[in-house]
Amino acid sequence: MGKKILMKGNEAIGEAAVRAGCLNYFAYPITPQSEVAEYLSRRIPEAGGVFLQAESEVAVSYMIFGAAGAGARVFTTSSSPGISLMSEGLSYITAAQCPAVFVNIMRGGPGLGGILPSQGDYFQATKGGGHGDYRLLVMAPASVQEAVEMVMIAFPLAEKYRNPVMILGDGLIGQMMEPVEFPDHLRTDPTDKNDWATTGMEFRKSDKPNIVKSLFLDPNALNENNLILKAKYDRMKAEDIHYESYNMEADYKVLIVSYGTMSRVCRTAVDNLKVNGFEVGLLRPKTLFPFPEKKIRDAAAKDSCQVVISIELSMGQMVEDVERCVQGRRPVKWYGECGGNIPTPETVMDVVTSLVGK
Amino acid sequence: MNITLEGIIIIVGNYGSGKTEVVINLAAHRKRAGADVRVADLDLINPYFRTREARQSLEEIGIEVVIPAKKYFYADLPILCPDVAGLIRKPSQLTLLDAGGNDAGVAVLAALADSLKVSQSRTIQVVNPYRPFTDTIQGCLKIRDEIEKVSKLSVTGVIGNANLLDETTADHILEGYEFIQALCQETDLLLAFITAPVDLIHQLDMNTISCPVLPIHRQLVPPWKSADKLI
Repeated sequence: MGKKILMKGNEAIGEAAVRAGCLNYFAYPITPQSEVAEYLSRRIPEAGGVFLQAESEVAVSYMIFGAAGAGARVFTTSSSPGISLMSEGLSYITAAQCPAVFVNIMRGGPGLGGILPSQGDYFQATKGGGHGDYRLLVMAPASVQEAVEMVMIAFPLAEKYRNPVMILGDGLIGQMMEPVEFPDHLRTDPTDKNDWATTGMEFRKSDKPNIVKSLFLDPNALNENNLILKAKYDRMKAEDIHYESYNMEADYKVLIVSYGTMSRVCRTAVDNLKVNGFEVGLLRPKTLFPFPEKKIRDAAAKDSCQVVISIELSMGQMVEDVERCVQGRRPVKWYGECGGNIPTPETVMDVVTSLVGK
Repeated sequence: MNITLEGIIIIVGNYGSGKTEVVINLAAHRKRAGADVRVADLDLINPYFRTREARQSLEEIGIEVVIPAKKYFYADLPILCPDVAGLIRKPSQLTLLDAGGNDAGVAVLAALADSLKVSQSRTIQVVNPYRPFTDTIQGCLKIRDEIEKVSKLSVTGVIGNANLLDETTADHILEGYEFIQALCQETDLLLAFITAPVDLIHQLDMNTISCPVLPIHRQLVPPWKSADKLI
């Protein structure tokens, strides 16, 4: 581990990508993630890489496609409306099985919305956004340090699955400052991509050129490609579900499912309620796709648990996945705000205690 | 050793150097000492964690805060409040102008440069050596040069704000103090004061520190933490 320094989330995300060995960054500025570009405009040239501000987010997504298709480690960052514009490219990149990392520092929506924190892009990140049958591996950091670590492991994960990985943080993750260190052991070398990427014929073992494409006019070929993608998503579910349990060993009456910075407010509420003798469990998905389905199902089924609540900075998106996992065994509730204000620990305490009476 | 700053003080520095936290705490500290204090939020470029977030706590202790009108509070626009010009023409005993980060953040000062020169203001740079780009003397001077070029003002002093937020220790404060002293020795900058979280003040050996220390009651906190009481 290196020396601790104080960094804003957006700066730390940029530095983490450089430390992870990614020297290609194409982006278009948008609040509240513009500091990534600001930071990397200085840092990437120093490190010998390429920083390019594109003319639009649509252009960014195809620059990412081009670089990833040619075998380079590449990433971009944006915020909600920008990710909407990149979604066509994301669908193409996924269909063509190219590894790349996308960071979404979410702001309030829909539309232009506002510039304050939100988790309103849960559906967009985990269920599509672009067209067709595709999935992103989605990780949601709850601290600046975790954002650093997730960015660093996102590149090898994207290469493992030959699929885009998205880091989904809310505006606060990008804007807040916390002490961080960059774990050197998470730095990885890019995988050999000569068997599929357009890296040049001199690297080829045969005379067969590599073709990176998303067009499959033959119905059987398209079905075959979709089966390959589905097999990858099933493998993600088997190998890369990550979550954090908090106070789950207690006989909790209420199980909170919450992610990102919202989960930190919930954590304070859980601590405060515990002092008052009211036990609450907190399950924080670190991967939103694949989702910790079995863990939530089992946690909800605990004898002491009377009710499950999804607390999120949206009008009820993750709650649909929680309901799917709980399978009707317990009532599933939702609480959230999505104008930009983050509920306080006191609000969460009131909401949670009102579910089972005091 | 007391902090006796008076007149118009423009607080500059790189992104995240802690300007706003310093301004809020300095304002409250000087107010407690009996000074008439006013504060203006000139941060036009940072969307979160601005002086305006602490408006209520400052106003409660009698410090006037000049910020854009409430309807523009969350606007992602560079709005310069016209009241700032009045503040400069008729300054209080201590008038603090909290500028935005880096050279981009002080561009607004160039628009005020003529009146600021007439009013004999002082420009002071906040330095946290635990931040990227200001962990070396050369880095601090590069930021200073960039700020001076864009703001058309001369930086004459520094504030040492060495910290790692909640993870700050007394050693960090002392190492930061040595760093800031070295910075001042290499330049003609005056060390106005250093800062320390209020909980750590009693751990500092004041015999080794030959400048004032501003206790920091942390105000800009994420929603799962409570701000310290300002007074």
